[in-house]
Amino acid sequence: MDQDLLGNPTTDVEKEVLRLYGDLKALVAREDAPPCVTRNAGKALACLWQACNDLDLAYEQLYDLGI
Amino acid sequence: MKHTPYWNPKNETMAREDLRRLQLHKLRSMCEWAQAESDFHGRKFKEAGFLPEQLKTLDDLRRIPIMTRAEWMESQAEEPLFGDLVTTSLDNAIRYHLTSGTSGRQPLRVLDGTKDWEWIAEMWCYGFWGFGVRPADTVYFAFSYGSFIGFWGAHYGCEKIGALVLPSGNMTTETRVRQIVEMDATTVCATPTYALRMAQVARELGIDLPSSRVNKLIVSGEPAGSIPAVKRMLEQQWGAQCGDTAGMTEIGTIMIFECSHQPGGTHIIEDNFIEEAVDSDTLEPVGYGEIGERLVTSFGRGFIPLLRYRSGDLVMRMPFNKCSCGRTWDFYDGGIRGRSDDMKLIRGTNVYQRAVEAIVREYDAIDEFQIVIWRKDNVQDEITVKVEVKPDHEESAGELLPRLGKDLAAAHEGLRFNVEGVTHGSLPRFELKAKRLKDEREYQ
Repeated sequence: MDQDLLGNPTTDVEKEVLRLYGDLKALVAREDAPPCVTRNAGKALACLWQACNDLDLAYEQLYDLGI
Repeated sequence: MKHTPYWNPKNETMAREDLRRLQLHKLRSMCEWAQAESDFHGRKFKEAGFLPEQLKTLDDLRRIPIMTRAEWMESQAEEPLFGDLVTTSLDNAIRYHLTSGTSGRQPLRVLDGTKDWEWIAEMWCYGFWGFGVRPADTVYFAFSYGSFIGFWGAHYGCEKIGALVLPSGNMTTETRVRQIVEMDATTVCATPTYALRMAQVARELGIDLPSSRVNKLIVSGEPAGSIPAVKRMLEQQWGAQCGDTAGMTEIGTIMIFECSHQPGGTHIIEDNFIEEAVDSDTLEPVGYGEIGERLVTSFGRGFIPLLRYRSGDLVMRMPFNKCSCGRTWDFYDGGIRGRSDDMKLIRGTNVYQRAVEAIVREYDAIDEFQIVIWRKDNVQDEITVKVEVKPDHEESAGELLPRLGKDLAAAHEGLRFNVEGVTHGSLPRFELKAKRLKDEREYQ
């Protein structure tokens, strides 16, 4: 993602935050992961959501992932 | 970046025009979510003829119907336990909290998912970082950790900041004061009233708080934290800088905080909330420097969306540049200045006269009553309910009074009520509008 929600170019840090956020969403959605992975990744995802929200990178609900 | 005075430099110093664009983006998203997933909001939008796509500019916010606490309570009563506001399966909830209701025994209940609960802590991070809390701090919470949300989010916010957190839970005031000193706490969190009480107990114990390591006192739960005379008293008695914050159980966290520049008010966390100040009667917006009632729209908790929620809090909004901290977020001069309704705050707990009355009236033996709010030793807020027992029921008073006290406490998050029996005929009677509540406190 090269732009934030306002259309500004994203910084290197922001790109990294977004990449991790996407990876965590994918990990939490996997059905073959044990609870220790899904729930811990879920907690991490909830934290990364804050960084994305704070930096105007993403704004969405995550309840479909149970988060 | 770790030396920045801002938790989130990007948004805290964002140009106002960009801030409005961001708010519009989030507002549309939250309205679409609420319309699709909350029966309550879907119904209200339909009745008002509102569609999220009508939000073209932030001024279109006024098309969204105003939401009231009474509607929320009604929804919960019709569909226990949480009403039809909730947007997702209750299985997604990880946290339950409540606040006392406006009428009778029913509390207002809220739920949060994992992301919401983390967001609640995040809002406190904005406030605590902005007031100077850093990883090296030791933060003491003089808070009972019950179902009342209080400082729960602040506790987790401080863990997130990396500070050492000292939860005091169910301790006596004496134990808390001793622990604050013994553990070298640098920051203490309490209601203003309780912070004064702790200072009083410290004096009685011969403990000199100003010579302790406490340099920040962060208060919440009562408007007194932004009353200059009270703030001065707190700062003198603790030898610490006192910062005010304010939040609501309904949003789960704080929406305003005082920064370390202490502008005489509290900044609005404008990237996560839209705050409007309106005339309580006409609901028309009021301008900068005018007193109005807060309406809050939250972008945080998606479990129970709050859109243009009528808070009952009275505020006076000031432009951001009246504070020297560099934030572009407006602030409320004097914090929360009072209430537009009959709600009273007693040691951080909301008390509505009509809720007390509803419980008192369950007792047939009671003829008349009066609620007196007063301040013990000039520091601790107390609530006393004086009751007149009917002459033919006087023998039951010994059992009735403590039972009423328990019922009132149960409906108010455990708040202690003093219940006093008085001579029959001694309380005032009213022909027109009854005034059964006397607030004798110098400031509230």
